[in-house]
Amino acid sequence: MTLDWWTLGLQTINVVVLVWLLSRFLFKPVVRIAAARQQEAGRLLDEAAAARAAAELERQRAAEAHAELAAQREAALAAVEQEAAHSREQLLAEARREADRQREQAEAELAAQRRSAQALAEDQATALALDIAAHLLARVPDSLRVEAFLGGLVEGLDQLAPAARQTLLDDREALTLRAPRALAEDELQRCREALARSLGGELRLTVAVEPGLIAGLELEGSSAVVRNSFRADLARLQRELSRHDHADA
Amino acid sequence: MTSSPLTSAILFQLGPVPISKAVAATWLLLLVLGGGSWLLTRRLSLRPSRGQSLLELLVATLDEQIRATMQVAPEPYRALLGTLFLFILAANWSELVPGLEPPTANLETDAALALIVLVASIGYGIAGQGLRGYLRTFAEPSWVMIPLNIVEQLTRTFSLLVRLFGNIMSGVFVLGIALSLAGLLVPIPFMALDLLTGAIQAYIFSVLAMVFIGAAVQGHVGPPSASKE
Repeated sequence: MTLDWWTLGLQTINVVVLVWLLSRFLFKPVVRIAAARQQEAGRLLDEAAAARAAAELERQRAAEAHAELAAQREAALAAVEQEAAHSREQLLAEARREADRQREQAEAELAAQRRSAQALAEDQATALALDIAAHLLARVPDSLRVEAFLGGLVEGLDQLAPAARQTLLDDREALTLRAPRALAEDELQRCREALARSLGGELRLTVAVEPGLIAGLELEGSSAVVRNSFRADLARLQRELSRHDHADA
Repeated sequence: MTSSPLTSAILFQLGPVPISKAVAATWLLLLVLGGGSWLLTRRLSLRPSRGQSLLELLVATLDEQIRATMQVAPEPYRALLGTLFLFILAANWSELVPGLEPPTANLETDAALALIVLVASIGYGIAGQGLRGYLRTFAEPSWVMIPLNIVEQLTRTFSLLVRLFGNIMSGVFVLGIALSLAGLLVPIPFMALDLLTGAIQAYIFSVLAMVFIGAAVQGHVGPPSASKE
């Protein structure tokens, strides 16, 4: 057995060359691309992890925003409820005030109607009284309807305050004597004399006939009136009755 | 095959250098493997094709085998051990090509492979442990073992050579005898058996090379447990 040293050498060189060739064109490229893929996969995994972390962060932010919105909504609802309660209270108070006002207005209207009805009743009563008095006076002598009241008129003049008497005295040229009927000359003379005595001076009277007096006399100046008549008495009685009614109510 | 398997058939003479059939066949394999590698790896991408996936599976399996056998990182040894496996496998299977004799059926080719493994184990051993550290491994467990360890280095290299040569050469001979006796169909089972034998021998040679180089790198000179066939 002999070895062919040339062949041995050439084959050794061939194998070494093949080692270099496969290392250069097979193993290194394949390992490089596998490493690149591994690196790319790692990068993608890192990116995915980063994206997942970012998504998780976004989810947490969204959850926080959601919670904040929920809190704001709760606060807004509470504020709205409070506002509604406040508005309701205001409306109730306003309605209560309006009801009170309307009730007071109705009461005032009712009182006015009552007063009006009472005034009407009083007027009717006065008219009725005047009617009754007129009918009764129709049975007494006509002279009594005037002369019987002259004394009372003079007495009223005497009881006037000095200032009022002075004003009547100042108007002695233009005094009006109201009577329920036309006065006879002697009646007028007696009236003029009695009044002149009371006021202390000559008077010039103008007689005015007012059947509404029923009976009695009234002396009227520019700023003072002295009454002694059934109409004045009835009016005074009516006022008294009204005052008593108001006091009773 | 009528000539002696222990002699190299000279194909032609290149000046003073005789070019044997095994050398020519090796050049052919060198072209095929180198060119095929260049063709397959020139357009690698991050989205692998089926061919690229097969290449990556091959390299990953090789790395895993180196890592499992040598207990070291595979990068420094990948090119040599991967080339040994691929070359021996391609050489063993090249007998299927009509007119082509497997280079591994030639004694010089197997001797060259065994010599490369011997040199590589020494080189990696020195690189891994330093010259003194590597030489010190020959005196383990005692200096008395130095001659035996040296003899072991040589004999296991020789065993690599003889194992590969014997298996492949015998297969070629059996196939030649079958072809000369029975014609066309009878050699087919023998050819299939040769394919299996060729793959197994390529694997065994590569794994033994891993064991020897790993032992040299890690400081164990003793016979590797996987070296028994």
